Amino acid sequence: MIIKTTWFTVLTTEYNQFLPITDRIERAVAESGVQNGIVTVISKHTTTGITVNESLECLENDMEQFLTRLVPEDWPYTHARMLKDYGSTAGNPTGHLKSLLTGNHCHFVISEGKIVRGSAQDIYFCEFDGPAQRTICIQVFGEEGNGCKQK
Amino acid sequence: MFIDIHVHPAFFEPINQDPAREQMRHDILNIHKNGTAPLEHVFNQMRCARLDRLCLLPADYTTQTGHVVVTNEEIHRLVNLAPDKFIGFAAVDPFSAQALEKLEYAFSELKLRGLALHPSRQRFYPGDKLLSPLYDLCEKYDRPIIFHSGLSWEPDTLSKYARPIEFEELAYRRPKLRICLAHFGWPWVQETAMLLVKYPNVYTDTSLLHFDSAYEFYTHLFTSEIPLTWLDRSLRHQVMFGSNNPRFEQIRMVDAISRLGLRDSTLELILGGNAMEFLGGAGGKEPEQ
Repeated sequence: MIIKTTWFTVLTTEYNQFLPITDRIERAVAESGVQNGIVTVISKHTTTGITVNESLECLENDMEQFLTRLVPEDWPYTHARMLKDYGSTAGNPTGHLKSLLTGNHCHFVISEGKIVRGSAQDIYFCEFDGPAQRTICIQVFGEEGNGCKQK
Repeated sequence: MFIDIHVHPAFFEPINQDPAREQMRHDILNIHKNGTAPLEHVFNQMRCARLDRLCLLPADYTTQTGHVVVTNEEIHRLVNLAPDKFIGFAAVDPFSAQALEKLEYAFSELKLRGLALHPSRQRFYPGDKLLSPLYDLCEKYDRPIIFHSGLSWEPDTLSKYARPIEFEELAYRRPKLRICLAHFGWPWVQETAMLLVKYPNVYTDTSLLHFDSAYEFYTHLFTSEIPLTWLDRSLRHQVMFGSNNPRFEQIRMVDAISRLGLRDSTLELILGGNAMEFLGGAGGKEPEQ
């Protein structure tokens, strides 16, 4: 049984941004040596998300617009006040609430050393309070050797 | 050109290679959980906020804390890393016997563009004669001064030293010295407005966000505390955009100011034109020999 945990950081460049990270996850799985198991991808932050969707520019725009309609910038949020343990004023309630909607992690099954994913499925890191330096954790869990075959 | 006149680079990555020094900055400035910022990230933030230049302010609290929180040399180093993006200010401890010599070096050798002082933290009144030689030197080099004014979130600060009215005699006696009462002197906003409308050498900046969201707070500030018309008519040449980053974030502050309903020409002045005037044009004049 192998449990391998790795991290990587990204510098996001926009206030809201969908960043495909499938390649990074596939590489981590390949490097882990796990043939059959599961991979978890989880963000270390509370104003970001991890989601799975089709990697199309039009859909990225629709997802961003959809979340902005649900969580508009101008709203009397209560998370807009001086936070004394930060020494700074909270201004990112929209980031927290969008994160609530996307969730902060995803899982994929690993079979024969590869992630089992549909042809339209890509993994996104979602920035909702950027630009920022962000850390993403990957944990690969499973066994070496042969297991069930992908159909 | 859009300028943020009030940025504290205490957590910029190139000057935070020593964890003990970084922790000292968290403790003294009362800013926590923010990490350090690679310059690439700083530039990303600038682009998103539509800012072309940041004015970087050091802090010398030697008498009060035993530390120069950010040194003039560190500012100089940051400016050299991105001279097209950063404008550097100097800081000195007014109670230090070397203050004058240090400031002259900062202006003449490090080519820093102004002086940053914090009366509330450094515990002096702006009219104190102790400061006169420093003011003389700023006049000699035609360098402006940014004073902290009003509420400070740093520990061990007393607001009485930085109440706007305490700056009137300085503004009156030294009409050629450009001074900025940062943070709009909040909560004494009308007092700040009084000084602005009376003295053309007095400026202020928008680096305040003590309650609510940026849009809510600025709307309150510029409708309830003073009317927007004061800003758009009489004070339009003396208010500069400042964020006080990293305590407050630039992107939402720029957006909020842009949506207040000011004339486009006023907005251009606040976001950059006034800062250029305050800084003395392109680079500030070298002193006459």
